Amino acid sequence: MILAIIENAFLSLIGSAIPASAVVMLAATGAMLGERVGVLNLGQEGLIGIGAVFSVIAVLSWGVESPWVAMLIGMIAAAVAGLIFALCVVSFRASQVLVGLALALGGIGLSNQLGVNRNGTPIQTLFREINPGGVLDDNDLVSAFLFHDPVVYIAYIGLPVVLWFVLFRTRHGMNMRAVGENPAAADAVGVSVTGWRIFYSVLGAALTGAGGAYMVLSFTPTWSPDIARGRGWVALAVVIFAGWRPGWAVAGALLYGSMISLDTTAQARGWGLPFMGASDLSFFLSMLPYVVTLVAILIPAGAVKLGRRVRSTAAPAALAIPYSREER
Amino acid sequence: MTPLGSIASTVLRVTPWRLERRLEVEARRAALTRIGGAVGAMVLVGIVLLLTGRNAFWIFWQGLDAIFGRQRGIEGAALRAIPILMTALGVALSLRMKVWNIGSDGQFLMGALAAVGVGIHMDGPAWLVLIVMAAAATLAGAAWILVPALARAYWDVNEIITTLLLNFVALQLVTWSALGFWRDKEAAVIQSTREVAHTLPGLPGANSVTIALLVPLVIAAALWWVFRSTTIGYEIDTIGGNPRAAGYAGIAVRRRILIVMLFTGAIAGLGGMLQLSAPGAQAMNAGFSAQFGLSGFIVAALAGASFWGVIGGGLFIASMFYAGIVLQTKGLSVYIIFAIYGVILTGIALGEIAARYRVVRREAVDGDGAQAGDDHDAATERAAT
Repeated sequence: MILAIIENAFLSLIGSAIPASAVVMLAATGAMLGERVGVLNLGQEGLIGIGAVFSVIAVLSWGVESPWVAMLIGMIAAAVAGLIFALCVVSFRASQVLVGLALALGGIGLSNQLGVNRNGTPIQTLFREINPGGVLDDNDLVSAFLFHDPVVYIAYIGLPVVLWFVLFRTRHGMNMRAVGENPAAADAVGVSVTGWRIFYSVLGAALTGAGGAYMVLSFTPTWSPDIARGRGWVALAVVIFAGWRPGWAVAGALLYGSMISLDTTAQARGWGLPFMGASDLSFFLSMLPYVVTLVAILIPAGAVKLGRRVRSTAAPAALAIPYSREER
Repeated sequence: MTPLGSIASTVLRVTPWRLERRLEVEARRAALTRIGGAVGAMVLVGIVLLLTGRNAFWIFWQGLDAIFGRQRGIEGAALRAIPILMTALGVALSLRMKVWNIGSDGQFLMGALAAVGVGIHMDGPAWLVLIVMAAAATLAGAAWILVPALARAYWDVNEIITTLLLNFVALQLVTWSALGFWRDKEAAVIQSTREVAHTLPGLPGANSVTIALLVPLVIAAALWWVFRSTTIGYEIDTIGGNPRAAGYAGIAVRRRILIVMLFTGAIAGLGGMLQLSAPGAQAMNAGFSAQFGLSGFIVAALAGASFWGVIGGGLFIASMFYAGIVLQTKGLSVYIIFAIYGVILTGIALGEIAARYRVVRREAVDGDGAQAGDDHDAATERAAT
């Protein structure tokens, strides 16, 4: 009996955590892509906003009727922002931290400004859940756990598998890692450090933009100011937690997502504790995702320091360091 | 190989000019190019606003006129300068050792929250309450950065994300206090904490500015002295230059990082108390920090690591901020300020890099020199792309 309750609670938590942090998953994959070639893009928060607002504009103002096309438009907009970022930090070698923060601020500001007349307008062009129907439809929890829209499968299964395969099983991936670890060596064997860095940071920005698009085309589904609500920063934290390994990002994103769904579930059901009323508990729970994320970042570093054997979880050695042939 | 790189170097090649890397970058030149980048960015923003039918230059001029035309305007800008200067000083101190404290907004909020807690619960003479409030705020600010500082110093965990995540926690905590545990139950409409009864004494001749304005000036002077004349200041600069070399020189690098980060939090936290003790701002709500940490960060980025530069830049950004309020009344949303900050910060970052290069005229070189000169050209062009 108690086991069944725990099982139900766990399933419902994870089941709603999956869509809640698909955005984080997409943004973390995008950030990881850039960081693997040595480009730290702190602007994820802004890119989510840009991807989201342009998808909203595509649907509401340009009459786009396919969620895929709307998402593509959001991705292109984020890629353009990512290209400006990449030109500043890769071509001109400006500080990645400063320009990244600038992109975060600028992206939040720009997207909020563009969305100002579209607050709360419901989006009708949505991704549809894939549900074979009839097989398991009498069990709500199992279907909540298994059946989502296609983007969720891409974010949690498709992208990590592809990225893992490319990074660790192909020559191309080895070159990518070389650009992030030792750009001078990559340059010496004829890999264009500048070109690869620009290409993958733009591609990463597009993925993060897809995350923003997913928020408005499935999760919320409406525009509201500050749509990312810290998810971009959480995504950057998830990359650290995952030790720059695509598969582990799934665990990080789900950890964050289950904290979010704990909060929303508690609010919806008016949960309280003997020493804490329902409203106080909900304030407390809304801090929890960020606290848990913070603790999660400390885990890999702490494990290394405390002498546990952990397979390489260190950041790419050349992360956030501009490459210049003159200075190698 | 890269199309963009080759386009850029082709563009450079057809002009008679080329970029040359400077061997040494003077601090003064870097400061000038940063300011140039920021001003250029603002002009760009102005042009964009002009294209959307808003004469930003005229509105901005009106804003500045509103500030410097009247005493109330000057005091309005000064009031906003206090929290911006405090958070900027904290960030600038951490930048001396190349540590990024992005969480000054959170430390500022926690400082103010601790000050409210003391202020509404403590009985006693006003001076004593205010001193305890300041002490509590300083400690709270330092405590709020303790975990990121320990993680950075001893576990080498990147401080950018950890400090930033705590901003969200601090904001939730403040919201909780304003709507929950310290809520002012008499005020039905405005959701904020109860009000602290005491304020700092006013500056002579001022209507609303208190002696709080002197605090950032004193701290800037103290920091300037520490870095000019003391061993610890020198050690911090050494760590900022090259942590490994500093370690070989016998400096306790990790402990210095921890201490400096705690100080940056403490300064931002004290800023929260100073803001709270201004007349009319004695209670907290979710909007208590109008992105002061953000403005402070931009000031510190603009000033590099010069503490007097922070004072100058802080007064400038505070004036901008105040002029921006005038902008808001002209049909621009508050969000546009973020976008403008983003453009300015990019301008600063590009200005910083511009100081490292100079444009020189391509010269015809004859004889043996030609080969070497061409190689050098090609190398600088590649570097520029």
